[in-house]
Amino acid sequence: MKAILFYIFSVLILACGIFTVTSRKIYRAAIFLLLTVVSVAALYFLMEYTFLGVVQLVIYAGGIVVLILFAVLLTHDSGSLLPPLGVKRTVATFALTGTGLTVFLYTILGRKVEPGSGEFNEPSVKMIGGQLLDLYNFGFVLPFEAISILLLAAMVGCIVLAMKFSKTMN
Amino acid sequence: MSYIENILSTSVSLLKGMKMTGYYFSHPKEIYTRQYPENRKTLKLPERFRAELTMPHDEFNRHRCSGCTACEIACPNGTIKVLTYMETTPDNKKKKRLDTFIYRLSMCTFCNLCVDSCPSDAIKFNQHFEHSVTERKQLTKVLNRQGSTVTDELK
Amino acid sequence: MIITALIIAISVITLFAVLGLVLVYMERKVAAFMQIRLGPMRVGPWGIAQTLADTVKLISKEDIIPNGADKFLFNLAPLMVTVIATLALAPLPFSDKWIIWDSNVGVFYVAAISSLTVISILTGGWASNNKYSLIGAMRSGAQIVSYELSVGLSLVAMVLLSGSLSFSDIVMTQQDAWWIFKGHLPAWIAFMVFIIASTAELNRNPFDLPEAESELTAGFHTEYSGMKFALFMLSEYINMFIVSAVAATLFLGGWMPLHFGQDNFFNHIMDYIPPLVWFAGKVFFIIFLIMWFRWTFPRLRIDQLLTLEWKYLLPISLINVLAAAWITVTGWHF
Repeated sequence: MKAILFYIFSVLILACGIFTVTSRKIYRAAIFLLLTVVSVAALYFLMEYTFLGVVQLVIYAGGIVVLILFAVLLTHDSGSLLPPLGVKRTVATFALTGTGLTVFLYTILGRKVEPGSGEFNEPSVKMIGGQLLDLYNFGFVLPFEAISILLLAAMVGCIVLAMKFSKTMN
Repeated sequence: MSYIENILSTSVSLLKGMKMTGYYFSHPKEIYTRQYPENRKTLKLPERFRAELTMPHDEFNRHRCSGCTACEIACPNGTIKVLTYMETTPDNKKKKRLDTFIYRLSMCTFCNLCVDSCPSDAIKFNQHFEHSVTERKQLTKVLNRQGSTVTDELK
Repeated sequence: MIITALIIAISVITLFAVLGLVLVYMERKVAAFMQIRLGPMRVGPWGIAQTLADTVKLISKEDIIPNGADKFLFNLAPLMVTVIATLALAPLPFSDKWIIWDSNVGVFYVAAISSLTVISILTGGWASNNKYSLIGAMRSGAQIVSYELSVGLSLVAMVLLSGSLSFSDIVMTQQDAWWIFKGHLPAWIAFMVFIIASTAELNRNPFDLPEAESELTAGFHTEYSGMKFALFMLSEYINMFIVSAVAATLFLGGWMPLHFGQDNFFNHIMDYIPPLVWFAGKVFFIIFLIMWFRWTFPRLRIDQLLTLEWKYLLPISLINVLAAAWITVTGWHF
């Protein structure tokens, strides 16, 4: 059962990924991207790592894809077909992706993968939270704080961009 | 401070609205809907409701229309057509008499201008509102009855 | 395993159909009574079979796809919105034994799934090739994306108080009293914010700018007819059910009977009412509350809508999260 579901989702990921890059309608491409992302989340759920699956849904499907869709809706010609790729670009794309695939396959196939014991204890949300704010034991408090400063800077930047300065203020 | 005041006053006014609708929801007696075909017998229409123009006749089959066509002139959309003929009275005067009073219900807006303009109160609206018929021409009616005459006082 | 899956699928579909029929009928009756009307009265006694008749009408209607619409996406959108509504149903505990998937991140999962609804609305609006639909979809997107923050923050406050992301754990923490009683101010504020913000997320009055019949002729589903329109309608009502179920579980104890303190006489009497009845009662109470809003308040203007979220709900719920954390740390809740 699990194996069948795994193959179904894998095929979905691959097919939707291919459609995402080959579709000439930009909105359709975004929707195929959404399906890819959701299928990846489904794989996480299948592996019983639900927290990661939900995070995948929140960040990629609910956040990034929605942002892309908004951007598409705000563009002028979102309904028209994109121009087909030229020969040069096609060749370049194939070369690049081919290189990536070769490196990836070489790394994966060169290593011996031992089958796991089949048991997996999902880390609880409390553990994840504790690890994020841990000063010792390989905790992630420094990256956490760094990212929060980055986000704060981004937020202040947004407000400054959106603010209307009156002329008397300068 | 005005921020909190704003929230509170808004909540109060919203709650007032919800109290109103809640009152109506919990008091089905207030319901105004009438289930028309079922309550046909007990149906009470408002006094000023106007449904169809009629010309009342008395027991001797006499109406009060002198054929002055004031109603026809007053009607804003040509609903009324008054056909008249000239009659010679015994004392050799010529007088206008009503021949046919045509009322096209299909064009009537029930504005009551005809009734207001009538100098002799010959026409009035009744409250029979079930107008549906199968053909449009059935909506064109003749209001004066067969062989009716005008009352003596208007002769 | 396949048989379990089949049983679950069939019961979920049945639940969908029954909920759709019941909620639409309820909405029409509530609306009518609040407006001093009677509502549907003709089909069956008190118009009980009215929604059934409407369903037959919707099924037999012609399925129209407008010229110039993106056919694939136009057909995908109503499907997507239904699938998303189904997915969000999974971790909700209907009673102490009835729960489809007892996930340990249930609250987070429901929040994540309901953030996908906006995609299907955007898709439906865009694929219709109609300016009203597009405007409706854009409005809906802006609205849902902003109000999601307040919904999330009020969920966070409750998760802080109960100390778990799993729905069944949260229900179990309310054994001595529901969170609305023992959570003090943070729980009340979170409840209020959650109800307001999730009404906005459902695109219901007074936040129904995306559908605004009078200005946008129904917004993103202007071009939909027949069964596809019915799917949009259905999932709107299912989403209302899910929102109410989440609110009932987090604040009003889910299937947990009304308890005060530990193991006393009052609690034992309350235990005689089955959990499913408690759950359904609470859910329908909140659904009624949301319907009450709809038939009382007029539609907000777009600037009022955004002011409400960004100047009132969001700051309040941010402070509320802090207060909830403080209460949890000091252990002030009972």
